[in-house]
Amino acid sequence: MPEFTDLLFYAFAGLTLLCGFLCVANPLSRNPVTSAMFLVLTIISMAGLFVLLHAFFLAAVQVLVYAGAVMVLFLFVIMLLNIKEEERRKMNIAAVGVGAVAVATLAGILVRALWHATPLATTATVEGSTRTLGRILFTRYLLPFEVLSVLLLVAMVGVILLSRKELK
Amino acid sequence: MNYSLLSLEILVTLLGVAVLLGDLWIPSSARRLLGYVAATGIGILLTYAVGTAAPPDGTAFGGMFVVDALSNYFKGFFLLSALVVVLLTIGSSESISGYAEYCALILFATVGMLFAASANDFVLMFVALELITVTFFILVSYSRNRSGSLEAGVKYLIMGALASGFMVFGIALIFGSAGTTQFYEIAARQTELGRSPVFLIGLLLTLVGLGFKIAAVPFQMWAPDVYQGAPATTTAFLATGSKAAGFALLLRVAFSAVPDITAHWSRLILGLGVVTLLYGSLCAIPQRSVKRLMGYSSIANAGYLLLGVAAVSLNGSTAVLTYLGGYIFTVLAGFAVIAVVTAQSNSDDVSAFAGLGQRSPLLATGLTVSLVSLAGIPPLAGFFGKFLLLKSIAAHAGSERLYLVALLAACVGVVISLYYYFGVVRAMFWPRTVADLTPIPVDGPTRLALGICLIGVLYLGVFPNALVQGAKQAAAGLVPQTAIAAQPVHAVHH
Repeated sequence: MPEFTDLLFYAFAGLTLLCGFLCVANPLSRNPVTSAMFLVLTIISMAGLFVLLHAFFLAAVQVLVYAGAVMVLFLFVIMLLNIKEEERRKMNIAAVGVGAVAVATLAGILVRALWHATPLATTATVEGSTRTLGRILFTRYLLPFEVLSVLLLVAMVGVILLSRKELK
Repeated sequence: MNYSLLSLEILVTLLGVAVLLGDLWIPSSARRLLGYVAATGIGILLTYAVGTAAPPDGTAFGGMFVVDALSNYFKGFFLLSALVVVLLTIGSSESISGYAEYCALILFATVGMLFAASANDFVLMFVALELITVTFFILVSYSRNRSGSLEAGVKYLIMGALASGFMVFGIALIFGSAGTTQFYEIAARQTELGRSPVFLIGLLLTLVGLGFKIAAVPFQMWAPDVYQGAPATTTAFLATGSKAAGFALLLRVAFSAVPDITAHWSRLILGLGVVTLLYGSLCAIPQRSVKRLMGYSSIANAGYLLLGVAAVSLNGSTAVLTYLGGYIFTVLAGFAVIAVVTAQSNSDDVSAFAGLGQRSPLLATGLTVSLVSLAGIPPLAGFFGKFLLLKSIAAHAGSERLYLVALLAACVGVVISLYYYFGVVRAMFWPRTVADLTPIPVDGPTRLALGICLIGVLYLGVFPNALVQGAKQAAAGLVPQTAIAAQPVHAVHH
């Protein structure tokens, strides 16, 4: 009888694989924006996997940074480029070849790593919990953290300046 | 913890916030008042920083932030260039849309530079560099009605983000292999870390990020476009403050964190320096735009400075610091003139400078002194730094052929630079075509800024002793405490 967390793991892992596949090879749509949305789903499913590993902070950052900030950047680039041209483009033999080599290499590394891995008898505690991270950020790395606040102020002023209408 | 060590950084930040907020209450007709406030504030802090009231040597935040002779040396120059740049903007405060923000951003970039001068940890170094770079993304694209300025901003953004990516990856590898990011802690274990390929790759990637900041080949491609497209006052700050901050960090990483590895890599740095100075000098020859010319000249100067780093000696570091001191005054004087002339004629072509000798003798004298000093001709500030630099290279030239090649390349670079600098001087005094000869008015703050720079260039040229002594003291503090006993400062590594 599998435990509930195991079921969750299979669900998230399956979703990750499915969405990842739909991101690169969607049979229904060749629209780059659809692919980007599936990438968001992939990232969120991976965040679920991180939660199951008790890496809560990593999961939150995964959603905030990748699904949030990085994807906005992706969408900007997609919108700046010509989407129609991308939709019409046919499969490229060279691209398929390079992709196959990359997949084979990564799969080889994965199989090799799993082959040599010995499962731990006890569950290891995950380092880098939110609490320790917060503590180190406000003690050892307090100064860079404070300097970042000036950086954020500068970024905010800059965005407003560069995006507003011409003022007199 | 001794928070008073950070007083300079905190005060400049507060000044920036005050200028930003002051804009809310000051009517738009009196905007230039904010420029005067910023300039006065920096002026007071400058006298405080270089005077006897400078904070005493010490470290804060667990050795992450260090105040020593080197940091004080650089901080004086950062405040000086901020002061001159703010003075230059006051005259055009009416035409800059968002003038208060422009002043505030200059102050925030200065804060980044001050932190960079004191950074003794890779994390603080990265954050300080990002503060400088992100602020410059905005300052470069400030003239939004000119497409050249926006183009320069986008180019700087893309190249800067790429360089930051390299650097943060390098720092991650360094942290991964060393378990610490603090310079002294790394210095204590550098023999062991020097054998770790992961650490060396991390260090190399960090140098990529610093190479971008100082515009060294092969990370120089942004410099000419950005120098040309950015508003002239931004370019002035980019060429002085931002570049000096890159060198402050390069010196600290090279000689405080990993002196042994630097000695091992001296030929790599030397090679980069030679390629950089030849590239900058050769590409400057066909330029018609004076701002673009200054961009290539800035690349060439980064090359000379790298030669001083590659000398791996106290004399080499002293020469780099002396050179930077003279260079900052010289380049600021040049850009003070370029800012006025480009604003007047809406063009940065050499032809816009034609007949400047008759249109404004003050401006023509200023630019001539600046260019002659950049070329390294004796009675001016640029000469002594270059002389010390070549001397520090020549000390190795007898025993190693590569240093001899570098020495010859530097001499060739100096000769080429004479040609292109004097092309501009000729256009100013002996124009080929009869140009527009209406006099150019120069406002008070710009006169003051130009005066400060010209007096600096002449004074440091005739009496360089104080500067060289300061530079020597600063360079002596670079060697980490643990290494002083084990390794003589003058040691030559082969």
